[in-house]
Amino acid sequence: MTEKPKRNKSSIQRRLIPSYVFLIIWSFFSVFPLYWMITAATNTTVEVARGKIWFGTAAVENFRNLLAAQPLWKSMGNSFLYAIAQTLLCLFICSLAGFGFELYADKAKDRLFAFLLLAMMIPGVATMIPLFVLISRMGLLNSVWGFILPQVSTPFMIMMFRNNSRNFPPAIMEAARIDGQTEVGIFFKQYMPIMRSTYAAAAVITFMNAWNAYLWPKVVMTDNRAQTMPMLIANLASGYTIDYGMLMMGVLFCSVPTMVVFFVLQKQFAEGITGSVK
Amino acid sequence: MSYPRCMSFGGRESVKTSRNSVKAKQRRWGWAFLIPATVMIIVMSFYPMVQALITSFKKGPILNMQMADPWYNNYTRILQDKIFITAMKNTFLYLIIQVPIMLILAMLLAQILNNKDLKFKGIFRTMVFLPCATSLVSYALIFKSLFATQGLINSVLRSLHIISENINWLGTAGTAKFVIIFALIWRWTGYNMVFYLAGLQNIDYQVYEAAKIDGASAWKTFWRITVPLLKPVIVMTFIMSINGTLQLFDESVNLTNGGPANATITMSHYIYNMSFGQGVGKFGYASAMSFVVFIMVGVLAAINMKVGDTRD
Amino acid sequence: MKRKLIALLTASVMAVSMVPAAVYAEEAPAADVASEDENTLSVYAWDANFNIPALEAAEADYQKNVNPDFKLNIITQSGSSDVENAVTLAASAGDYSTLPDIVLFQDHYFQQFHLNYPDAWQDLSTADVDWSDYGAEKLSYSTIDDVHYGAPVDNGTAIMAYRTDLLEEAGYTVEDMTGCTWDKFIEVGKAVYEKTGKYLLCMDGSGNDLPYMMLQAEGESQFTDGAPTFASNEKYIQIIADIVTMINEKVLYLGNDWSDYTDQAIVGDMVAGVLNGNWIIPTMEQVAENSGKWAITSLPTLEGGEGYAANGGSSLYITANCTKPELAVDFLSKTFLGGSTETYDAALKNGGVITCSSKAGASDVYQEGVDFFEGQPIYADIVKMGANVPIVEQSDYHYQCRQYVGTAIQNLVAGGDASLEAVAAALEDAQGQLEFEMEG
Repeated sequence: MTEKPKRNKSSIQRRLIPSYVFLIIWSFFSVFPLYWMITAATNTTVEVARGKIWFGTAAVENFRNLLAAQPLWKSMGNSFLYAIAQTLLCLFICSLAGFGFELYADKAKDRLFAFLLLAMMIPGVATMIPLFVLISRMGLLNSVWGFILPQVSTPFMIMMFRNNSRNFPPAIMEAARIDGQTEVGIFFKQYMPIMRSTYAAAAVITFMNAWNAYLWPKVVMTDNRAQTMPMLIANLASGYTIDYGMLMMGVLFCSVPTMVVFFVLQKQFAEGITGSVK
Repeated sequence: MSYPRCMSFGGRESVKTSRNSVKAKQRRWGWAFLIPATVMIIVMSFYPMVQALITSFKKGPILNMQMADPWYNNYTRILQDKIFITAMKNTFLYLIIQVPIMLILAMLLAQILNNKDLKFKGIFRTMVFLPCATSLVSYALIFKSLFATQGLINSVLRSLHIISENINWLGTAGTAKFVIIFALIWRWTGYNMVFYLAGLQNIDYQVYEAAKIDGASAWKTFWRITVPLLKPVIVMTFIMSINGTLQLFDESVNLTNGGPANATITMSHYIYNMSFGQGVGKFGYASAMSFVVFIMVGVLAAINMKVGDTRD
Repeated sequence: MKRKLIALLTASVMAVSMVPAAVYAEEAPAADVASEDENTLSVYAWDANFNIPALEAAEADYQKNVNPDFKLNIITQSGSSDVENAVTLAASAGDYSTLPDIVLFQDHYFQQFHLNYPDAWQDLSTADVDWSDYGAEKLSYSTIDDVHYGAPVDNGTAIMAYRTDLLEEAGYTVEDMTGCTWDKFIEVGKAVYEKTGKYLLCMDGSGNDLPYMMLQAEGESQFTDGAPTFASNEKYIQIIADIVTMINEKVLYLGNDWSDYTDQAIVGDMVAGVLNGNWIIPTMEQVAENSGKWAITSLPTLEGGEGYAANGGSSLYITANCTKPELAVDFLSKTFLGGSTETYDAALKNGGVITCSSKAGASDVYQEGVDFFEGQPIYADIVKMGANVPIVEQSDYHYQCRQYVGTAIQNLVAGGDASLEAVAAALEDAQGQLEFEMEG
């Protein structure tokens, strides 16, 4: 009696061998460049240029050079500030819109939504100058607002919240209305808690986009006290002579926060991305 | 552009209430919720887009732009511009090769990871997703050094006796395109996989059990059950990828700088070159090219939605 | 109803502003990069290993000898194009207050930016400076209608550096190479590659500065009266044919881009010769094990005889936003413009920046022999070579021209035909594309 399921189990695992092989190969493919980034951060520039594959002894020196060359902690702080501010604001505005578009849907709103989608179809370079002029006239250069305002309402995030709101049970809304809750109250007290995994997924995506943004921050942050991590890396990667060990140390510092955010939120992220409601 | 149901999943019929005023009030609130998002998009996207559209009919230095003669001159110029046409061909090559490979691999990985008997699921999922956490500036730098002439890839291939002399990966047209596609697949497959995996996890396992009992093959089950149920997600990933690829910029700039001989330059990269980074920009012409990209994205997205919109 | 709507909007605005607002207050003072303090000047510059040490040297010099309260606020940029973009953006917003007091600007672009944004700059006519102390070629970039705008920082004089040990292995010396023809150079290059496996020359395939330098060494330009004329220039056709031959014969390593050129070709020790602006020297010095094996001389030419050229380099310009032009002019004229030995000696030691002021070049530091180059006094040699660089016509489309010619070279290499006819046809094509760009 106990023998049979066991054999069954091992035969299932045996049938999964190709899956495991594929996953192991793919994982290697995924992780290897990151491994290389880490080893490069411990090597000297000459060793990096010649493709040394193992850890070196220059980590401390690279780190010290990095601190001397660029305002690392200031840039980290700025990047965190901008990314967190953008994530909070973007999640609030876009979820409110997603809620409105899906749960109060009608023809006119569908049309408005389709119209808003047009905003994501133009290459960013084209709108950069008018946007810069706008932000500059508003006096928001070098401020967190100048960084985040152009990105707080994106068609993609609205679309994600709207699609996922499909899973929000209408019965809850009705019940809440009968209980005398206002529409605003429903959003804050019912919708937000129930949709929390969607919020987590949206937070991961928005945080990563904000953290990794380069072109726009480069344009609005004219003072290097407002510099972000990707700008720091670009500064390291320029010039007549580049120190690759130090550069990779910078790349490492730029990559860790987004990885940590993903690690922390990955369970909710996987659930929330298409809006399962648990 | 009409908005197909597959994307919105349709609106719900408004709940019937006896009192009209309550309904009207609710409807007003429905609109109020859209105000912040709509206002921000209008101010931060549409207003600059209209400005860019006006610019696209003008010529000359930015402080003293004059109407082009004829007004559509910037647009007709595009047709004669060999580099723009090269950039367009490159971009579409990336689109045709990279997007399907990436999405098929993403789907395959999602299917494998959705198997309830699979062990170490969490670890595998994390490793597959990890590349998306690296910033675009960083990953371009990493790939550039991996594929450098004396870089790691060449030394590994040489020590395995696959090649006898270093390959100049980024300096030859064919291999440079390959590296860009390879890098894109590395960076974005995991991202798309997560969307598919989440979609698959929403499908009730019993649906598969039922199919198994009916004797459907895995292949059939996939096409008859999985694909239709995942259609909204698939359409979304397609549109994201098309949009992302047609506006591809960072890889072309940071990995190959468009070279060799413009063999890897993308449309957005060329538009950027015309605007910034090469002396005083030709903003009128750059804006005109941007609207050509805008129309291409629009047309492809619309086709995509139409194809995806085979409702039952 | 209305009241509630307002309440909602207020609540949402409050909610969203909570976090950012707190820190916004802290960030706000940074909004204006022009410095408020009467003793402080702000400057945009790039390259932490080169230009920035030079600026720091000037700051220290001015602090020590003129004004102990002086401060230079150096704002690091990721490259020269960042500075160009900042000027473009400020001009398009009609508001130069986003610019710093001084910008470091790429020499080749200044004329074009002055033409398009004339209000963005302040000239140096009030500076009490002996301009004849500077190389005429360098000043030609920053002078418009006899009015000086730029304070030169570095010296773009090109050097031709050879690995003497590798030349010797192939049976040649640096003396053989000085003043030789390109034909001879190719012959030597083949021998060197055969014997040592190293290339005698390398070039950045996305920068394509080699053709420009080789033509300048002949005393000619790719442009005549503002129009590109390189496709009908016999010498230029010959130069491009030589370059393609060198690539095909493994005399010249064609790097894919800047980092491939520096990190693979030079730091990766693939070459026995380097030809570029002298700012390339710190890159060469990264390979410590080759110390004492290099020597520097002038360029080969088509007909033989020593050739001189310049490549790259930048100058400091005062922007319209500078509210303390007296301080800015005084600072520049007592450091870089005055040929201050203290500034330039420190700039050379800390950043490898070589002056183009003959006064500063006369200092003891410049006469010292450099171990990396077999004890050769290279800095003094470079300043001397700089005086010989011929002035040739410049163009706003300098970089675009390089781009199209680079594409032509890539196509010729891929096509495998280095005959003069094929080269002429490819250049015709490149010139056509450049003309197309210039007319639009």
